[in-house]
Amino acid sequence: MRYAWTTAVLVLVFAAGPRSFAANAPLRPGAERRIASTPIADFRLIDEHGAPFAFADLSGRVVVVSFAYTSCPDVCPLLTASLRQVQDALSPEERREVQLLTVTTDPEIDQPKVLLAYGKRYGADFASWSFLTGAPAALQKVWRNFGVGVKRKGRGLVDHTPLTALVDRKKRLRFGYVGPSPARDAVLSDIRALLAERAGAQGH
Amino acid sequence: MLALMLMRVGLSALFIFAILLGGCGRNQRMDTVYAERCLSCHGPSGRGDGALAALLPVAPPDFRETVQRKSNAQIRRAIAEGRGLMPAFEPALRPSEITDMLQMVRFLSREGRDLAWWERFDALVVAHCSIPWETVLGYDEPPERAEEK
Repeated sequence: MRYAWTTAVLVLVFAAGPRSFAANAPLRPGAERRIASTPIADFRLIDEHGAPFAFADLSGRVVVVSFAYTSCPDVCPLLTASLRQVQDALSPEERREVQLLTVTTDPEIDQPKVLLAYGKRYGADFASWSFLTGAPAALQKVWRNFGVGVKRKGRGLVDHTPLTALVDRKKRLRFGYVGPSPARDAVLSDIRALLAERAGAQGH
Repeated sequence: MLALMLMRVGLSALFIFAILLGGCGRNQRMDTVYAERCLSCHGPSGRGDGALAALLPVAPPDFRETVQRKSNAQIRRAIAEGRGLMPAFEPALRPSEITDMLQMVRFLSREGRDLAWWERFDALVVAHCSIPWETVLGYDEPPERAEEK
């Protein structure tokens, strides 16, 4: 009888055990590449140095935009690490024509000095990578334009679309990578395809 | 009379002991802050086997061993300022919440593996950064085409 109870307890323990993280592991590596063709409206935000930032000033450049927040315990560290890999792989000539942006999804916490510390931790070259924040209303317009959903769940805890987007020289969103870690080579290939497009032509 | 007094003193001592004992263990705040911010990488026991761990380029360390060699100030600094891919939780977390996280890390390193406590946080944990792209604007259909309708 005692063995029967022991067996029952062990069965219950092992029945609960395998649930562990398989049950709540929705994340997959990489990112899904999607094609889009969406005009991006000009916007004004604040960069990591507290200086005004105008999207209009990037005219003629290819822009890589990632949406993340600094205290994210989920995919954002991977998104930002992927962006760092992309920046590292760009040649000096390409860096002059490609701008990276990380737009916060948590303006409550991500003030300029927080973003500056975040960028430094990831070894960002601020000459071609800006970390942007701003008033919630201004950010909401940007999120909506890029199709990014943002839902605050608590202080420093935000659910959002894990998007990295490529915007062409004519300010059209052309590629979106949805997921924690876009493949560096795929992003580089798309960046170079957009760089190769003439100012007056569009790939599709 | 003396017996009553002794009983009161005894009960008071027991009450204080219970409070102290509770302070050394885990509480709801510690569970919550750990489940929200640490669980996805560090796992339920601190072993570094969270759902996100497999996606990281460098596996999270088994902190049950590493924290034994660190002071509270060192652990607080790691939580507040971040380390590697681990985010800096200051200023998102208030000092009292960082203390809760620190105590939870100490608790897990002291008490070892615990399989079941985190399961009620499932919904919360999977909610992070999971809003699909297409639900907001419908990117399968470019906006200008949608406007034509």
